[in-house]
Amino acid sequence: MSGRTYGYNGVPPSKGKKGAKRYAMAVDLRRCTGCNACTAACKTAYDVPLGDWRIWVMEAETGEFPKTKRHVMPRMCNQCDQPTCVRNCPTKATFKHPDGFVLQRYNRCIGCRTCMVACPYNARHLLTDYRRDKRNPRNVADKCDFCIVRVTRGLAPLCVTSCTGGAMIFGDINDPDSEVARTVAANKTFTLRPEQGNAPQVYYIGLNEPIADPEFAFHHRSDQLHDRYNTFKKNSELGEELAGNIIDTDTGFFGIVGQGVHNMINFIATAPAKFFRGLF
Amino acid sequence: MVDGSMDGQMISNAFHHAYWGFPLSLYFWLVGGSAGSFVVSTLGWVFGVKKYKATAFFASNTAIAMLMIVPLLLITDLGKPFRFFHLLLLPSFSHFSAPMVWGALFILTYPIGMLFYSYFVYYKNERMARAFGIAAIVLALCTHWYTGVVMQLNPSRLPNHGSVAPILFLTGAYISGIGLLNILLWIRNKFIDAKRQVSDAILADMARLMLYGIVFDMFLLFNEFLQMTYGIAEEHTILYDVLLGPFIWPYLYIEIIWGLIIPLIILVIPKINRSLYWVLGASFMVTTGVFGMRVWWVMATQYFQGHY
Repeated sequence: MSGRTYGYNGVPPSKGKKGAKRYAMAVDLRRCTGCNACTAACKTAYDVPLGDWRIWVMEAETGEFPKTKRHVMPRMCNQCDQPTCVRNCPTKATFKHPDGFVLQRYNRCIGCRTCMVACPYNARHLLTDYRRDKRNPRNVADKCDFCIVRVTRGLAPLCVTSCTGGAMIFGDINDPDSEVARTVAANKTFTLRPEQGNAPQVYYIGLNEPIADPEFAFHHRSDQLHDRYNTFKKNSELGEELAGNIIDTDTGFFGIVGQGVHNMINFIATAPAKFFRGLF
Repeated sequence: MVDGSMDGQMISNAFHHAYWGFPLSLYFWLVGGSAGSFVVSTLGWVFGVKKYKATAFFASNTAIAMLMIVPLLLITDLGKPFRFFHLLLLPSFSHFSAPMVWGALFILTYPIGMLFYSYFVYYKNERMARAFGIAAIVLALCTHWYTGVVMQLNPSRLPNHGSVAPILFLTGAYISGIGLLNILLWIRNKFIDAKRQVSDAILADMARLMLYGIVFDMFLLFNEFLQMTYGIAEEHTILYDVLLGPFIWPYLYIEIIWGLIIPLIILVIPKINRSLYWVLGASFMVTTGVFGMRVWWVMATQYFQGHY
């Protein structure tokens, strides 16, 4: 028990309000196989549009052959205790539930995407028009909500249920007998980007610095990932609509000006459609 | 903690959209231009610099016209444009801790203040023009200050997340507003009779005001630069691999060299700094240069963060 720390800077887990529950997650990366069952289960259940994720798995390789190692890490909303998205949301569409969830109210959201800018974890996305069921909310922000619809009915979140390695542990961290509280107490845990001051509530066990570090993700993309990045930015329907995706193979003077002009023309061309769809 | 060294590569990750793009860069630029124009407009009627009185009416109307485009851009950029009124339903619906709500109030009240100001300037009502001018100049500064704060209050957006952000924004607004106004006044001179024209001497004087702004802007940018070179890892990356990487055109070439250094040189050389076409050239450079700043300011951090 001794010597455990929470986060790089030793921040203890928040207990929330006295007497209230505080749902949190521990992800034991020693047990994660990177099978993406969580990604698939979540994406299917919540009709997450193409190109967006509520949960996804980062993978990185370190070392040199033959001494290489593969690191995997599921990423999702960290249900922060000091969420910048909530503070910055201009319409109270996103809020902190007393039990620890950070939730989204689609009927209030205006789709201004301030929350997405504010989130250090890229955990938020804008729902596109391209959803299987058109009655589902569109053109508003969405995020992982720790499957509150399941949790309030006594079920674990889908990613936890579907985890093949048993790496994800969910529960009330204020209840000392819960599995998550015992796991967090017994292991050295880390949180992502604790220096941002958001007090994230997803605790990783066996976190590898390379994969948790935005610097690493930026500097050490594989060539294939780099190409896919550009393809994604170029082809994504939402990217056209948001008019801000920089394709990084084309950043000379004419490239930047060309991208700007192209994006502005597209922005104006899609404006009428945006207003009409906004009615529904 | 780290296995071996940091050698390695990222194999798989989610890709993330850039949330705010060129339309919002344009919005930041327009709000800035509007605020800058209005500052010039009030010089004569509020701050008592008589020679600028001739520019007041036109400058104020330019500021109003630029601010008319702003809501169109902002509302069209929303995912749900018809829900824009959610921002204005204080105190029950909108969230007062969000700078965007302050902005909605400023953008609503600022043009009204300017309209009254323009009205009293047109009818030469000195006392009322002064009163509404003071109210509107405060709102003008607030309107542009809040745009800086919107970017500032995002801890993970590193060059934006600093207390210098709103001041940098305001300085950029001031110089781009004067630059744009100089060009528009010169075009206006072509179409009106000689009696109502604004003299070249006044344009040169306005360029002198712009020069002070340029020097201050460069000073602030230099401070930002210093902090980023000594900064924590992400600031270092943002400077060398994002701003001097894919964003080198908007950041270094367009903003700093084209928009600040060359105009500074033009405006400090005694033989040409009062010559009309040099002044207009410097004005054009400053105005377009500030647009470069708006582009990297909005999008550079998203480019970095988009890989995480």
